[in-house]
Amino acid sequence: MRVLKQKKKRLFEFLGKLKQSYELIAPVSKDVVRFEKIDDTGDIYLEKNSYFPLKEYFFRKEEVLFKFNGNKIIVPAPEAPARVFFGIRKCDLNAISHQDMVFMNQVNDPYYSSMRKNSFLLGYHCNTAPSPFCFCGSLELVDYSDLMFYDRGDYLLVEIGSEKGKFLAGKFREFFVETNAAITQKEKIIPRADRLDKKDISHLYDHPDWKKGVDICLSCSACTALCPTCYCFEIHDNVGTKNPKEGERKRSWSSCQVQEFTKVAGEHVFRKEREERFKHRIYHQLDYFKQKNGINLCVGCGRCIEACPTRIDFVEIINEMK
Amino acid sequence: MKQKLKQLENPYIPKPYKILDFHRETFDTFTLTVNMKTSHEPGQFVQVSVPGFGEAPISICSDSKDFIELNIREVGNVTRALAKLRKGDKLLVRGPYGKGYPMQHIKGNNIIMIGGGCGVAPLKGAIGYIENHRADFNDVLLYLGYRSPDDIIFKREMERWKKEYHIKVTVDKNAHGKFCYDAKEGFITDALKASSFTNENKVVFICGPPIMMKGAIDILKQKGFHDDQIFISAERLMYCALGICCHCMIRGKFTCIDGPVFRYDEVKDFKND
Ligand SMILES: Cc1cc2nc3c(=O)[nH]c(=O)nc-3n(C[C@H](O)[C@H](O)[C@H](O)COP(=O)(O)OP(=O)(O)OC[C@H]3O[C@@H](n4cnc5c(N)ncnc54)[C@H](O)[C@@H]3O)c2cc1C
Ligand code: SF4
Repeated sequence: MRVLKQKKKRLFEFLGKLKQSYELIAPVSKDVVRFEKIDDTGDIYLEKNSYFPLKEYFFRKEEVLFKFNGNKIIVPAPEAPARVFFGIRKCDLNAISHQDMVFMNQVNDPYYSSMRKNSFLLGYHCNTAPSPFCFCGSLELVDYSDLMFYDRGDYLLVEIGSEKGKFLAGKFREFFVETNAAITQKEKIIPRADRLDKKDISHLYDHPDWKKGVDICLSCSACTALCPTCYCFEIHDNVGTKNPKEGERKRSWSSCQVQEFTKVAGEHVFRKEREERFKHRIYHQLDYFKQKNGINLCVGCGRCIEACPTRIDFVEIINEMK
Repeated sequence: MKQKLKQLENPYIPKPYKILDFHRETFDTFTLTVNMKTSHEPGQFVQVSVPGFGEAPISICSDSKDFIELNIREVGNVTRALAKLRKGDKLLVRGPYGKGYPMQHIKGNNIIMIGGGCGVAPLKGAIGYIENHRADFNDVLLYLGYRSPDDIIFKREMERWKKEYHIKVTVDKNAHGKFCYDAKEGFITDALKASSFTNENKVVFICGPPIMMKGAIDILKQKGFHDDQIFISAERLMYCALGICCHCMIRGKFTCIDGPVFRYDEVKDFKND
């Protein structure tokens, strides 16, 4: 892949220039680190990864699928904002790749696709794991960005990862210089980020140790909300207060960690026990998705562990399983 | 080109269809005939909706390219709203979805169908298919169980089935000793246990409440049936029917695209999931 070089101080000039043509979204440090629209590039914060993942920019918390008036359906015109996302870590880039598989390959979801279409993904490589919860190195992550920035002290190496990336680098060529440098696979390995033992858990479903995680679970579903890959949703109709025939059909995030997720007629709940629901989440991430798509859904960002009020660490649970 | 266009269609958008007939089956079930022309397999389902109330997956219980029949039980929001519709009204439908009964692959067999309550609806689709391809199949044995004589659905069709097939009907309770299609008091599993068939050249379809399905499978196993001779229908909460909302997932399998009809050996290890 082609690599360019950029002086550190040129990076912020580049981002400032980008901001004139695109909406720029990057991590800022507020109450927590979060991705936000950038007005002043000086606000961009790159020491830690964002507490919240990027998913709500593409797979939104709530999406109006269509409005209706009686049986007449009005589909909203797709929004396709021209956005540049900067400072995305490798885990989150891979999470976007996995959601692309679901919403763009498995089905053609026009809402997701249109949000993705005019977005540019500019990644920022972790020279070392920024959080003790990270375990991306235990998973088989790939390169998945339009431009990937590797911090080398007073300069950056910028790898062009796609046609979109090539377009941006061409449009703003004054901010980059040619180089013979290459980025080796070894240099892409992130140190201190492989704490999950690589293990096939498919035969461990009935292992008694799963209980260890469960006793203290509150079913609060912070883990699924903060997961960059979790994509479960439900669909409901809302009607207006003025005209009961008028309303909208909405999709919204849902969580497999609550009983309602599988509740059917007669109040029957299929995954009634916390243990079953906990295992379902872990198995979807580290077994089921792989059966269908050839790759684990989990990207090792560690958010589900960091965000858990009782700090249930499934990495430890799996590692200790014999 | 045609395929490409189809791919770009918005998969969440239903289309309006006209109701050709409304027929009340029992106090809480009814059958709609809908003017939807589509090819489908028996056992497949559609997503039916009434705007403002939401969507519900409902099995197609007919076998025709010219219309679909839906047998619906009133349990909640959507199904009660559907019950208010009448001939000439419109409803919204998308689909058909899912994997149905593998009719092509089981030609030449005797077919046993075991249905409980509303579970008889998808089986009716398979019976319709057999009626349209009668020469492809041998004997058909129907075991249909209901809670009471008043809960028996498809009374119109039952007269015809009685002439063509071996049919056993049971009701859990027959409080008033009502006459109903020679129905015996007891569970359908009792009728199964009492019957003398073997597993030779047979394929079984089971659809009904989980306890009934489990009971029926146990009896079939005692009679020497193999797991791959048995097909069951799974029912799960479901929103998208496209294999992405994940509510209907059982272990790694999706009821909406890998099912709802599963060969028993594919799912027998799944317990509560
Ligand atoms: C593949 C498939 C085929 C089906 N075929 C038929 C059919 O032919 N005829 C028929 O009457 N019903 C069928 N059902 C069940 C039907 O979809 C539900 O009864 C219906 O969705 C309930 O919707 P509601 O809005 O009326 O009820 P709600 O107001 O949503 O809820 C009422 C009760 O029904 C439960 N429920 C919601 N969704 C389902 C569901 N998918 N399965 C079971 N219970 C549910 C709720 O949890 C609640 O307890 C089928 C379900 C599936 C998954
Ligand atoms: S999981 Fe890996 S890529 Fe993500 S923040 Fe941690 S070290 Fe960086």
